[in-house]
Amino acid sequence: MLKEPIKVTINGAEIEAEKGAVLIDVCRDNAENIPSFCYYKDLAPQASCRMCLVRIDKMPKLQTSCTIKVTDGMVVTTQSPEIEKAQRSMGEFLLTNHPLDCPVCDRGGECELQEVIFDWGDVEERFKEEKNKAPEKYLSPIVANDPQRCILCKRCTRVCDEWMGEDAIEAGNRGANTVIGTYGGWLNCSQCGNCIEVCPTGTLLDGVYRHATRPWELDQTITTDVYSSDGMQLSIGSRAGEVHRIVARDRYVNGLNGEFLDVKARFAHEFINHPDRIKTPLIRYSKGGKLIPATWDAAIKYVAHKLSAYGSETAVVASPRLTNESIAALGFFARDAVKTEKVGVADRQSMAAFFENLSSPLATHKDIRYASTIVLIGGDPEEEQTYTAKQIRQAVRNGGAKLIVVNETPIRLTTKASIFIHANHGSVDAFALTVLDASNDSFAAEKLGVDAGLLGDVRDAVFETKGDVIIVCGSDLSSDAQAVIAATAGSLAGDGRRVLLHPLPLYNNSVGAIDILGGGSERDALRSAKAAYVVGSLQDASLLAGKEFVVVQELFETETTVHADVVFPAASFAEVDGTFTNNAGNVQRVRKAIEPLNQSKPDWMITRAIAAEIGVDLGFEPSATSAFKAVADAVPAYEGLRYPALKDESSPVQAKYEIASRDVSGAVDSLRRSVDAIQPADKINETPKVGHKLHRLTTMTSKTPQFHLLANGNPKPDNLLVSPLVQIEPSGAKREMAAAVGVGDRE
Amino acid sequence: MVFVENGHRLSVYRDHGGYKSLQKAVGMAPADVIEEVKASALRGRGGAGFPTGMKWSFVPKDSPKAKYVVCNADESEPGSFKDRYLMERDPHALIEGMTIAGWALGSNTGYVYGRGEYRYLLDIMDVAIAEAREAGMLGKNIFGSGFDYDLHTHTGAGAYICGEETALLSSLEGYRGHPRMKPPFPAVEGLYASPTVVNNVETFTSVPQIIEMGGIAWRDLGTEKSGGTKLWSISGHVKKPGVYELPMGYADMEKFIMEDCGGMLRDDKKLKAVIPGGSSVYVMNAGQIIGQNVTLDYEGLVAAGSSLGTGGMIVMDETVDIVESTKNLSEFYKHESCGWCTPCREGTDWLVKIFDRITSGGGRPEDVQLMLDIADNIEGKSFCPLGDAAAWPVQSAIKQFPDDFKKWIVNGAASNGHVVEANM
Repeated sequence: MLKEPIKVTINGAEIEAEKGAVLIDVCRDNAENIPSFCYYKDLAPQASCRMCLVRIDKMPKLQTSCTIKVTDGMVVTTQSPEIEKAQRSMGEFLLTNHPLDCPVCDRGGECELQEVIFDWGDVEERFKEEKNKAPEKYLSPIVANDPQRCILCKRCTRVCDEWMGEDAIEAGNRGANTVIGTYGGWLNCSQCGNCIEVCPTGTLLDGVYRHATRPWELDQTITTDVYSSDGMQLSIGSRAGEVHRIVARDRYVNGLNGEFLDVKARFAHEFINHPDRIKTPLIRYSKGGKLIPATWDAAIKYVAHKLSAYGSETAVVASPRLTNESIAALGFFARDAVKTEKVGVADRQSMAAFFENLSSPLATHKDIRYASTIVLIGGDPEEEQTYTAKQIRQAVRNGGAKLIVVNETPIRLTTKASIFIHANHGSVDAFALTVLDASNDSFAAEKLGVDAGLLGDVRDAVFETKGDVIIVCGSDLSSDAQAVIAATAGSLAGDGRRVLLHPLPLYNNSVGAIDILGGGSERDALRSAKAAYVVGSLQDASLLAGKEFVVVQELFETETTVHADVVFPAASFAEVDGTFTNNAGNVQRVRKAIEPLNQSKPDWMITRAIAAEIGVDLGFEPSATSAFKAVADAVPAYEGLRYPALKDESSPVQAKYEIASRDVSGAVDSLRRSVDAIQPADKINETPKVGHKLHRLTTMTSKTPQFHLLANGNPKPDNLLVSPLVQIEPSGAKREMAAAVGVGDRE
Repeated sequence: MVFVENGHRLSVYRDHGGYKSLQKAVGMAPADVIEEVKASALRGRGGAGFPTGMKWSFVPKDSPKAKYVVCNADESEPGSFKDRYLMERDPHALIEGMTIAGWALGSNTGYVYGRGEYRYLLDIMDVAIAEAREAGMLGKNIFGSGFDYDLHTHTGAGAYICGEETALLSSLEGYRGHPRMKPPFPAVEGLYASPTVVNNVETFTSVPQIIEMGGIAWRDLGTEKSGGTKLWSISGHVKKPGVYELPMGYADMEKFIMEDCGGMLRDDKKLKAVIPGGSSVYVMNAGQIIGQNVTLDYEGLVAAGSSLGTGGMIVMDETVDIVESTKNLSEFYKHESCGWCTPCREGTDWLVKIFDRITSGGGRPEDVQLMLDIADNIEGKSFCPLGDAAAWPVQSAIKQFPDDFKKWIVNGAASNGHVVEANM
């Protein structure tokens, strides 16, 4: 529905458009194809490629349709000999110094320049001069750069500035010598790779995927990120059972994140086909002995026999990385097969208390982008929930939102904040007491080590807000503090002001694990258990020491499998169907891109097989669809959900959590006591380095070799060239070309 | 043009009536000052010739933001050097003009932006500004009017594009000197997204005279549409190059070159070509000037097939090879293209490559048509006027001097001999 419809005439046809819409979008919505390179819907207009020229009546020259806002009665011509000549001449200009090495270019087949030129069908090349040259080089371990192919649309520099707030790449030199470059010749940024994603040509390239396949050979599977709790939608490119690259979804049919991904989502996929994957079931026949390969049949029988004997002495622990289906299968297993109460989730910091006390709806990522005030308490979304961080940055930058940061660390987002409450080390919980209750200000301010007036300023900012207030609750907070924040948010609303909550859990399916298994921790589950059934790995593997019998399902041998008596090879997220629930409560599909590798199986299938051997039916057929139906029937918030309802990722389905006013006086009292016990501490004054959490080596990220370079400070190598350019002279002598052209090098 | 000895000193300037106009202006209503400027028919002296009074009236009076007055002292147009003379010899006239503009527009801050190569001129300006501040012509409560105004100078790093007003503002803010999208125009959102007036040095220095004489009287020095007087920078093959002040509508161009400027440098060489308004205008051949009664004002030069531009007149005699001279200009535009938009960045590069090929003997018959087509594809399609400026010299050179191009393409590298001799 159009809010303020106006009439615009395009190529003689009168159409309705939204007042103030950008002309190029209006034309494209009405099936008028206008080529463009620099225009990108989510970025500031650039008007530099000059491809989208159109004729507008009463305007003297051809106009760039990407900068014109439609007005009532506007008469536009997008197709005429004059416009075709202008557009073709821009294409011709762009190709003058473009190398036309499409057959060896990783973007060949997906290149926007190629598409536009091919669409014209006939192109005469009148440029007979020598092309400007510059050798290929690396900008970082995972960003390769071929400056010759660059058409200087500057989408990359704009995403770096506007999305990431990092300004790591910029144009250097001028005129035809302009190159996209970095400060100091090497990219020291979060390595999100969004510059690669938005590049219309093969100028910025995925250094992990480089020359692995041609893009058209890849099967594209739309699925959900396995790292961050934002639930970013992405596309796995696989060929013959091997995952070669991950890109964001196409920006015209996108998921909640558009073309945004982060370094882990985009590049840390090499673990999937890694040779270290566990290939068969393994059994350790005596404690301290070796894990010996076994058949599935033998291993399942062995485990079923042992676990049925331990019964309720068995602890069942799920990793928050698993699909909802696998987590639910474990829950059913604990309830029906071993009848144990000892159930836990191996999360670093559970946000169960937050979800149990919701007094306001959860914010979607879109709500954050268009919020008026954002209060970020604890947590560092720029390192953990990168898409949430991007939405916060854009809300501040493009929407003029007010950002309030409460944190013990001066995280990078504080530079965008209008109020920063810099809490003493270990005291951030104290802030929760003051969200609604001003009488706690002086008590909390003393513990936080800040001026009490600032706490009043935060409340004033919230109560002055006309639009949406988003309270972002980080996982740094204790359970009591989470409960108090979640329960008080609802009472801040009023006067047309919505207050929405947004948690920052740490794993891709932390939320689903809470929804299905509740808030039990691995420590509580394992405390008095004799046997353990662990799917995934534990945060603290030493909890397994001394257990009589331990079963683990994993991709790799980890500290957890060291304690295992039986290890089953699990399938990775790329090999299974299922669902993840993100931090906005969106239940999103995980889709199988490749068949399970080696002898691995989806986790829920293994759990189901053990239960069947024990003689218990877990209540679902051996299919992910059936498993999800069982999840939806068991979890009230997921009631009625089925896979077909989750098909359209552009409007993700949100789980229906119970919103109610809550009595949290118990949590408030307990929080006051724990805050009272906080000892005075110093402040952390140093802003942590970009990527200090993103580039951390884990079981999964460490399998991508480039992450070792990133984790070790991303040193600048001596030679940045992909391959040295060598000229062969007529005499046969070799002559090496000059080193890469860098920003600041004279022409 | 005549300059007074030590004219850059405040005392000398005041002895010759300096700052009287400012005193008069701050006694007038700001709107009346703008009306006088409008009545004077003063047109921007930076090259585009936009009516100054109208530009000033675009500044929103009720904007709560700070307003800025910016002097474009970049003077990067090849052939133009009048602003240099003004700042060197008459810096207080600029200060006075900008201060009057500040009063008229409700601004308290002005900036003089000069090109990197003009650092020494800004040093002169800095001394003059300090003198004026000391004497109470700048700073708080000027002439007891309660009006506060101060000036600052700033240099770019030497880029032609920074003479374009929006690129100048980007550079002044500390960004890359890229032009900005218009609208919004600087009068509404200029420096620091606040209402800003950007004018040329010569424009500002005309303002004190306008206030002193009254707008109508000043206009009547020139013609009805092109008011007042204009400074002309003459260079090239004339006996007396330099800066000349002429009333607008001066008749005629031939007399000016042949008599006022002392005629051709070498008596036996005939006039071949004139670029009348700085390199970014159409080049004229002798036939467009000799006996044509071309008047020196905006309208006269347009009627003669070129334009007034900045008034940087380059005179060339018959020894000049127009292919070589146009190649020189094309190299300039290629070097100065900022790289923002496709047609200017790639088009100027391509044109230079073709010129290089032609002048090294590889010219092809189709090159002339190709160059015209490239110029046509740049013209009117670039982000800022630099693209047009790069296209016009090529288009006009080919149109007015086809034989020079033909000679290179037919004779190839043999044409070189001619050029070497001409340069000796």
